[in-house]
Amino acid sequence: MEKLIANFNYVIVVILMMIGLWSMLAQKNLIKKCIGMAIFQTGIILFFISIGAKDNALIPILTEAANHTYPVSDASKVANPLTQILMLTAIVVGVATLGVALALAQKIYQQHSSFDEDEILENERK
Amino acid sequence: MPELPIWQFDILLLILVVLFAVVALSIRNLMGAAVVFGAYSFMMCLIWAGMGAVDVAFTEAAVGAGVSTVFVVSTLYNTSATMRSRPGGLAFKLFIGLVVTIAGAFLLSALPDFPKWGASDSPVNAKVAPYYILNTIADSHVPNVVTSVLADYRGFDTLLETTVVFIACIAIYSILRVDKAKLETGEPAAAPVPRYDPGDSLIVRQASRFMVPFMQLFALYVIAHGHYSPGGGFQGGVILGASLILLAISFDLKSLLRQWSEKTLMLLVAAGVFLYAAVGLACMFMGGDYLDYVFLDSILPGEKDMARSHGILLVEIGVGITVMFSMIAIHINLASNGRFDRGL
Repeated sequence: MEKLIANFNYVIVVILMMIGLWSMLAQKNLIKKCIGMAIFQTGIILFFISIGAKDNALIPILTEAANHTYPVSDASKVANPLTQILMLTAIVVGVATLGVALALAQKIYQQHSSFDEDEILENERK
Repeated sequence: MPELPIWQFDILLLILVVLFAVVALSIRNLMGAAVVFGAYSFMMCLIWAGMGAVDVAFTEAAVGAGVSTVFVVSTLYNTSATMRSRPGGLAFKLFIGLVVTIAGAFLLSALPDFPKWGASDSPVNAKVAPYYILNTIADSHVPNVVTSVLADYRGFDTLLETTVVFIACIAIYSILRVDKAKLETGEPAAAPVPRYDPGDSLIVRQASRFMVPFMQLFALYVIAHGHYSPGGGFQGGVILGASLILLAISFDLKSLLRQWSEKTLMLLVAAGVFLYAAVGLACMFMGGDYLDYVFLDSILPGEKDMARSHGILLVEIGVGITVMFSMIAIHINLASNGRFDRGL
């Protein structure tokens, strides 16, 4: 139990990624697939953020308003900024890719008037 | 683990997030799924704020809980929000469930090898990252380490991420945009019947008219003050874009397009990336490396050691412009089905 709590974030990361992957593979609805993709992505972002988190650490803004003292001598008391910036840009790129996915889904809907994968395939075969 | 003062709260939120993910995927109505997914993103942003990642949480609140929900809703507005239920397929779903469980079990088997949650001496936290924390003030006078790493130390990354947003915007244009001339001569595409026009509501219109200036002021503050507080070009750009998307939703697309024509939008999306790249080129002309802001000190106002801080601001403005207008352009494309006449 102690071990599980100490690594609980990784367990949740794996569960979220697998939920997203299951949705992308098993759901027939294209919008549900898009949401699954976004959930998979937030799982990965959670992984990066949680490995950069430190116990009793302050936010990586080195001002006195955020309880820091100049100059910062102990880096272990500040949360890891590097994993954060990688994920910050990933979120914005994520919304752009979600937009592309939704645009593709809309285009498919124009052709087949359905989001359902099976119906689209039936339409294709006709 | 009890070193974290409120770790129980973290665990509660993490469980809630999984619940929300399951609900978002199992709900039958797609509009409902979109809204639950927005709530999921908001929960996620609380978790990240609790882990000390305030900038990421801010971005997720603006992007994940805000704009991406709007994108899904405007897609559903043009299509259909109901899922057709058909019998069968359970065996397939269970089979995929089994495959996914096995994959998850493999991932979980690596669990004991990971450093403890919150360990400050793990390889991720002990190797490169301390350099940024200890030297950012001396190097660039930017207290927000995330901003200085984003726009200065790893400026190339951010330049290319901005380019990705630009390319995604072009991709959506080429997928959805319908040629006006073709639309008039060819068979008229069946326009979706608007089920509900919020532009009719006086309360919605007046409330958003009141909110938009404050949103824009806040967004400008977020961009300009990103050096000293959470925020920066990405977050401010998304909020600026959201303020105009709010106008488009509460009035109509036409009144937004009167102010910002299609051409202007695309030019501005490109202009942001261009500004970013041009700042880098200017550094080269002044004798330095690409995006080495120190060499801009003779052009920029202020002391010599503030040159990097000012360079970061210029770059953030470029990011903000691109993100703002690409969000608007993506929304207009999705909401009007590429016809740019009417929509959500």
